[in-house]
Amino acid sequence: MTRQELEALQWRKLQAALGHAYEGSPFWRQRMDAAGCRPDQVRSLADYRERFPILTRDDITAAERDSPPYGTLASCDPRLAIRHHQTSGTTGKPPVRTFDTARDWAWASDMWCSGLYGMGIRPEDRAAVAFGYGLFIGFWGLHYALEKIGCTTIATGSFDSEGRIRLLLEAGITVLACTPTYAMRLALTARQMGVDLRDSHVKLVVTSGEPRPDATKHAIEEAFDAHCLDTAGMTEAATIFMFECPEEPGGCHIIESDFIEEVVDPESLRPAPYGERGVRLMTSLGREGIQMFRYWSNDLVVRRGHDECPCGRTWDWYQGGIQGRHDDMRKIRGVWFMPIMVEDVVRAMPEIDEFQCTLKTIDALDTLVIQIEPRADVPAERHAELAERFRAELKRQVSLNPVVELAAAGSLPRFEMKARRFKDARPAPTGTPA
Amino acid sequence: MTYGVARLTPDEQMRLERAYQDLMLLASECEVPAVRANARAALALVAQALNGQGLRYEHYSKNLKRL
Repeated sequence: MTRQELEALQWRKLQAALGHAYEGSPFWRQRMDAAGCRPDQVRSLADYRERFPILTRDDITAAERDSPPYGTLASCDPRLAIRHHQTSGTTGKPPVRTFDTARDWAWASDMWCSGLYGMGIRPEDRAAVAFGYGLFIGFWGLHYALEKIGCTTIATGSFDSEGRIRLLLEAGITVLACTPTYAMRLALTARQMGVDLRDSHVKLVVTSGEPRPDATKHAIEEAFDAHCLDTAGMTEAATIFMFECPEEPGGCHIIESDFIEEVVDPESLRPAPYGERGVRLMTSLGREGIQMFRYWSNDLVVRRGHDECPCGRTWDWYQGGIQGRHDDMRKIRGVWFMPIMVEDVVRAMPEIDEFQCTLKTIDALDTLVIQIEPRADVPAERHAELAERFRAELKRQVSLNPVVELAAAGSLPRFEMKARRFKDARPAPTGTPA
Repeated sequence: MTYGVARLTPDEQMRLERAYQDLMLLASECEVPAVRANARAALALVAQALNGQGLRYEHYSKNLKRL
C-alpha cells in the first residue's frame, strides 16, 4: 500500500471512528462540541492533527471516576463487553479501566498477529508465554494471536522460573514471550541451574512491557542464541501499535493501518520532525468500546520514514522503540537523565546481575545513587574494581558521576512485569502541594 | 520483505462478504443461544478479516438486536 493509499484508509477509518464516538460516548461528544471538532467539522487528517484536543490519562481517569468502572467514556453499551482489563497501577495513580467487545478483541489480537507474523512466527512454532494472566492486559493479546496464527501456545502463568526453563527444554519451545527484564531473569536462573539456554530450540524471544535498550537485546540474544524482537502496546489501546522489524535491529514499525501516530515536542506540542525525539500521541482506529483520539502516551520516541528500513513495508518506524518515559526524565546537575541509560550500561557488563537507582539530595546537591548486585560467581575481591569500572563507564556514556554502592547477591528486587528500578527520593520543593 | 503479499480474489472477497452478512443475521437475531454465541464469535473474526483487507470497517455491535 502506498503512503497515499494508507492516508486515505486512515482518513476513512478516522471519520467513521469519530462519528461512532460522537454518537455513543457522552465524554467524546462533549469534548468534540467544546473544541469545535464534531465529526463533520474535522476536514482532513492534517486538520485533525492540528486542532483535535490532546487527551491525557487524567482526562480518562476523571471520566471513569464519575460512574465507575468506565464512566462516560464508553462508546457502546458495556454489557457488550467480553473482557475487562486495567492498568497495573505501578505509578501510584488510579488505574485506567477498559473493556473489549468481541469485535474489539478480534481486532486487538489481529494487531498482535501483524507483529508476530512480521517477526517470522508461523503455524509450526511452539510458543511459551511467560506472563501472569491477570487484570493487566500484557501478553493476553499475544496469546490469542499465537492461537489465531495456528501456533501451539503454552500458557506458563503458574510456573516459576525453574519450571519455565525446564519447559523450554522439554517441550521444544521455539518462541518465548516475556518482558526484557524477565528474559534476563530466566537467563540468570538457567545459569544458576547449570543450564545453557543456547541448547534449547528457542529461536525468537518476543519482548514487550518495558523499554528495552540495545544492550539488553544483545544480552538476551547471547543468552538464548536467538533473535530478540520487541513490541509495545498499551492498555488504553488494548493491543500493540508497533513491532520490531527483523531487517532493521531496533527499528519498530508502527501499525499505521490501524493507528495514527504523531510525535510532538513535549514543550511546544508542535510536531517533531523525523529523527528528533518527542512524545508520541496515539489515535487508535480499532476499538468500538473505549476509543482513544490523540492520547498523550508519555512515551519518548524518534520517528523514521518507512523508506529508511530495507524491508519494503510502507509503515514508518520508531528508532529503538520506546526510548523512555517523558515523566521519568530528570535533570541532574544540568544533565538530562533517564533510568534506561543505566540499564544500557549494566547490560553491557555481564558481571552485574541487577541494579537500583535512587535520586537523592546529598549535601544540597542532586545525586544519583546506584546499587549494583554483582553476579554470584564474581569473587568478592573484584567487587570494588567492578563498581569503579561501572561508575567510570556511566560517566563516560551519560556524563553523570553517580555514587555506586554494592548490594549482596540476591538482595535487590526482581521483576516479571513493569520493572521499577528508579526512585526519586528528593524532598519535594517548598511550596509544592502535597 | 520477509514474506510475499497475497491478495484476495474477487470470488474470495464475495464469499467473505456473504459470510459476514449471514453471520450478522445469526448473531443479531437467532433465538438459539448457543448458535447466537458462536455466530457472534465468528462474526468478530470475519469482520476483522474484512477490516484487515480494507474492505469493510464497521462498529457493528451497537446494531445487534439482543445482548
